[in-house]
Amino acid sequence: MNRGRNSKDRRLNMPGASKKMDQSVETGTPADHGATTDDAALAEPETGLTPNLQAHIGRHVRAVFDEVAREPIPEHLLRLLKDLERSGDK
Amino acid sequence: MQHKVSASLKDALVGEMGNLRAFAVSLCGDKERADDLVQETLFKAWNHLDSFKEGTNLKAWLFTILRNTYFSERRKRKREVEDADGTYAARLATHPEQHGHMDLQDFRAVLVRLPDDQREALVLVGAAGFSYEEAAEICNCAVGTIKSRVNRARNRIAEMLGLAEHEAGQDDVGLTKSA
Repeated sequence: MNRGRNSKDRRLNMPGASKKMDQSVETGTPADHGATTDDAALAEPETGLTPNLQAHIGRHVRAVFDEVAREPIPEHLLRLLKDLERSGDK
Repeated sequence: MQHKVSASLKDALVGEMGNLRAFAVSLCGDKERADDLVQETLFKAWNHLDSFKEGTNLKAWLFTILRNTYFSERRKRKREVEDADGTYAARLATHPEQHGHMDLQDFRAVLVRLPDDQREALVLVGAAGFSYEEAAEICNCAVGTIKSRVNRARNRIAEMLGLAEHEAGQDDVGLTKSA
């Protein structure tokens, strides 16, 4: 259990990163942050990560997601929609 | 029945199915179960289409239904069998279709080790194209909470990949473990 936390304790070498994050939870960042998926724009100073690194992580998160999203939709799911539609007509 | 569904709404439903599947896989880590989730989501969405206002955010609405379906099912399951930590990761890691891209596979293994709430926030904002505000609505929490989860997720990923201390300028170099 909780492998992540152990490794975090051992190797958290980003100065002040977690402390800053906790502060942001308490104070709450303003909600007027514009909607954007641009990685550089999403960069928040309290991550302690450079914009490049954030963009790098972002690319991979998207790649993992898109890999599934681009797969052809299974036939039975498409059929379900047709069935629902037909039952709705009656 | 009263379902008079416009062709455009139906097209929109079909159009979101790929994204819904990807989100479902990111939640449960299992493609078969993900397809079940999508199926149930479509079913529920269809039966509640009258509560959906055409022209508003269909994608966010569908994601919310899928997410709520997943977590309420999981709560039920947890009462029956306590899912041991790590089964999720093991399942994904051994999924036969997922071999091939070495560095994506590394990354996938890291993603599944994130706490559920952090992974969810990261996927919604970082991959599914939602704003922080939309993600907050989908997860029924404050915008600040989503931001914090996304930041924590990124920091954790960087730690797990050993990327925290240097810049990841080029893709492949960046994902190599420096430990």
